[in-house]
Amino acid sequence: MDLIPQLQRAILAHSLPPPSQSFLTTLTTARSPPPPIPSLLATAKARLLASDLTNTSTSAIIDPSAPVFPANIDAATVKETRLAQNTHVQVVDIENLSLSRWEQVEELEAIERGERTRGRQVIRVVAPEDGDNEADTSTTQQTQASRPAAAAAAAAATTTGGANAVHRLVLQDRQGKRVFAVELKRINGIGIIKTHIGEKMLLKAGAVVARGTVLLTPETCTLLGGKIDAWHETWMEGRLARLKESVGADRPR
Amino acid sequence: MRFTQPRPFHRLAPRLGDMRVLCVAEKPSISKAVAGHLSGGSFATYIKNYAFDFDFGQQWGSSSVTMTCVTGHLTNVEFTNEYKNWSHPPPESLFTAPIVKNVHDDKRDIAKNIADQAKYARLLVIWTDCDREGEHIGQEIVDAAKVGNAAIQVKRARFSNVERAHVLAAARRLVELDEKQVNAVSARIELDLRIGYAFTRFITNNLKPLGGPLAELVLSYGSCQFPTLGFVVDRYFRVKNFVPEPFWGISLTHNKEGKQVRFSWARNRLFDRMTAVLLYERCLDAKKAKVTKVQEKPTRKFKPLPLTTVELQKAATRLLRMSGQQAMTVAEGLYNKGFISYPRTETDRFDKGMNLRALVQKQTTDQRWGPFAQGLVNGGFQQPREGRHDDKAHPPIHPIAHVAPSVLSYDEGRLYEYVTRRFLACCSEDAKGMATDIELQFGDEYFSTRGVIVLERNYLDVYVYESWNNTTELPKFTVGEQFEPSEAMMTEGKTSPPNYLTEGDLIALMDANGIGTDATMAEHIQKIQDREYVATIMRGNDTAGGAAGENDEEEANGAPAARGGGRGRGRGGRGRGGGASARGGRASGLKVFVPTQLGVALILGFDRMSFEMSLGKPFLRKEMELQMKAICEGSTTRRAVLEQSIAQYKQVFLQSQEQVGVLKQVSQKAVTFPNVLWQVIIV
Repeated sequence: MDLIPQLQRAILAHSLPPPSQSFLTTLTTARSPPPPIPSLLATAKARLLASDLTNTSTSAIIDPSAPVFPANIDAATVKETRLAQNTHVQVVDIENLSLSRWEQVEELEAIERGERTRGRQVIRVVAPEDGDNEADTSTTQQTQASRPAAAAAAAAATTTGGANAVHRLVLQDRQGKRVFAVELKRINGIGIIKTHIGEKMLLKAGAVVARGTVLLTPETCTLLGGKIDAWHETWMEGRLARLKESVGADRPR
Repeated sequence: MRFTQPRPFHRLAPRLGDMRVLCVAEKPSISKAVAGHLSGGSFATYIKNYAFDFDFGQQWGSSSVTMTCVTGHLTNVEFTNEYKNWSHPPPESLFTAPIVKNVHDDKRDIAKNIADQAKYARLLVIWTDCDREGEHIGQEIVDAAKVGNAAIQVKRARFSNVERAHVLAAARRLVELDEKQVNAVSARIELDLRIGYAFTRFITNNLKPLGGPLAELVLSYGSCQFPTLGFVVDRYFRVKNFVPEPFWGISLTHNKEGKQVRFSWARNRLFDRMTAVLLYERCLDAKKAKVTKVQEKPTRKFKPLPLTTVELQKAATRLLRMSGQQAMTVAEGLYNKGFISYPRTETDRFDKGMNLRALVQKQTTDQRWGPFAQGLVNGGFQQPREGRHDDKAHPPIHPIAHVAPSVLSYDEGRLYEYVTRRFLACCSEDAKGMATDIELQFGDEYFSTRGVIVLERNYLDVYVYESWNNTTELPKFTVGEQFEPSEAMMTEGKTSPPNYLTEGDLIALMDANGIGTDATMAEHIQKIQDREYVATIMRGNDTAGGAAGENDEEEANGAPAARGGGRGRGRGGRGRGGGASARGGRASGLKVFVPTQLGVALILGFDRMSFEMSLGKPFLRKEMELQMKAICEGSTTRRAVLEQSIAQYKQVFLQSQEQVGVLKQVSQKAVTFPNVLWQVIIV
């Protein structure tokens, strides 16, 4: 049956991480007769993008021979080198280097209080209620429990990053190697919260690595999307604490 | 009909078939001014009533007129006697307690005068100020008049200044009193009474027993006062909690043709040293920079928008160093004397039909700006810019008549000067210049610089409050040109905290958040000082750039920014405390607001106990203000608003009562030194 190579070609044509043979086999034999290629591809894509690239167990869905970072990629002594092969990575952290951390702390704290600022205006953040249509019936009944949802929604709306924002990411390859990456040119798909933790990227061969940091440009970096829910949630919850810690505001002064 | 002998008016026997009209203004000065114009200057006064003849046109025709006035609101609402005791019945009962409307004790004579005069009149014309409060006062006058003459017809004169032609036109174009506005104000009055009393008693009953100086103070609550205080406290803590952070950047200078040019980095600054160093190193490796863009294009600095009350107050506090309240009092005086238009307006666009040239013409005799005004008359006149706000009642604030400085007090003179210069600036032309933008690529990094040459100052010649200067002249660059920059440096800086609020900042915050009307903001600010919730201190010589934010519309390239165009930029954009903001010199010696122990305790107390709807936040009040507007627009009713707002505030009240321990706990600190600035004790 030539279904497996066909599916594999389709996956690679979409720049997705290369799948393992066992994963392809499982996909194509799960149902009989197998579903058409487009729906198999959709399933494969969803699974690949939600997976942890570093998972090496026998059920791993990533091709164990897929390219990884060169061993000395993070060497600060190397002024400039280039990636020799297309390399798939996942995002494990992201920071906006254009905003002071304190500014971000203030914004997050305001959101925790149920506020946002737009210019001089203070706006109250109301959690979207489950019933949807009744959103405006009773704002006073909003419970403690629904507030994080509001905060997340608000945060998502605010922190997309401007045209000149510079983000620094921590990227991880299939073997778990972590490397800094900085936007040498602005990439619109990158932003705090917009970029999910666990999101997959393809760093193309030729991408520049300077002093151990990958320099991201739209030409050398393809955003594939995806997310690892548990990671992202933990990251979101810990963001305020991490920001405070990094400016030293967590210690009593 | 002219009377030569002052006689009590009601004894005059009305002539048969005589059309008699009673006109009532909001205050004596307007009464006098209107009477002066309608009568052509020949009137007789009886007590405070002016008598004269006037032809109203329409169906009334020539009439004998009595013009009189009230002094603000005639009536007040209060609780019945059973509710006078502060602790019993409990304060929460005030949300539903019966209220009664009475004529103020000291206004009985005025009400009686109106009732008496109404007996002889077929028509009552209301000449109160044309705003919501004025409309309500109008209704109070109607009620008073109907005591004397239940059948009297009622009309309203719509006017926005006491200039002669305008007043005459208003008298011949009478309209109806707007019941919706009356309802909105009476809803506001009732809410203020119930909410204010309930919370004032609640706070006082709970905090006075803590003893010390608290036992002596009036611990009042007002639905505008508290959010206003909230802004001060909020900013105070933002300053106090601020954590400075280092940042890095790349600065590039090049010497050419004997001129030194400084280019700034497109990334501005990064809060990570390693990344900055990395990018800097790559710049140096590139050795040569390449010019990627040279663009020379006309630029302009926009003339100001027509003047609103909020902008007047901001300007007065910032440029003339008056308090907002002072400014309003002075402006009111100028209006009453007929020198400027009504100073309470939200409108920042002039009606197309207004003859602005004629107003400019009146200023040509002035020593200071006369020649400039003459220039406008001689062809320089340009229609003012149009903002987006129109309250449909009043034009922007503008001078009505020319007045020599010698007849004005010092402050009147300065405020009149500001209003006039602003008006002339509005009728002038934008300042024009030529801007040159040069962009470089240096390695992967981009840098740019801009040079400006001012060609025509235009409005700036009269509007001395703004300046626009040439930058240093740029040497010539051509696209594609490559050169080795004379110097490329890593720079390092540190963020600095925001400034405490100036009165201008506070007014802007209140405006943006719907706290108070433009007419009452200054009073609320005064109130929180009187209550010792906040105090002012002089801002030292700090160099942070917060104050620069007030200078809206610096020099814009795109479409003219409408009112408050600069507002949205509060965050981030302007490098706060970065190298870019070194204009603090001007801000020295400015009064800023800092909360007292008591002020902080009240806000923290309420913030902590009623998380959702804290009284220290602007949300509840803003909602109420929107409801008032909705009543005026007819989309809701007074009853509906009262029910909803009372229910909301009662909910907060009950919540507060449950958690009153929190308020007491925070206030304990304030017991010892309630009126001492918070910082003094902490330090």
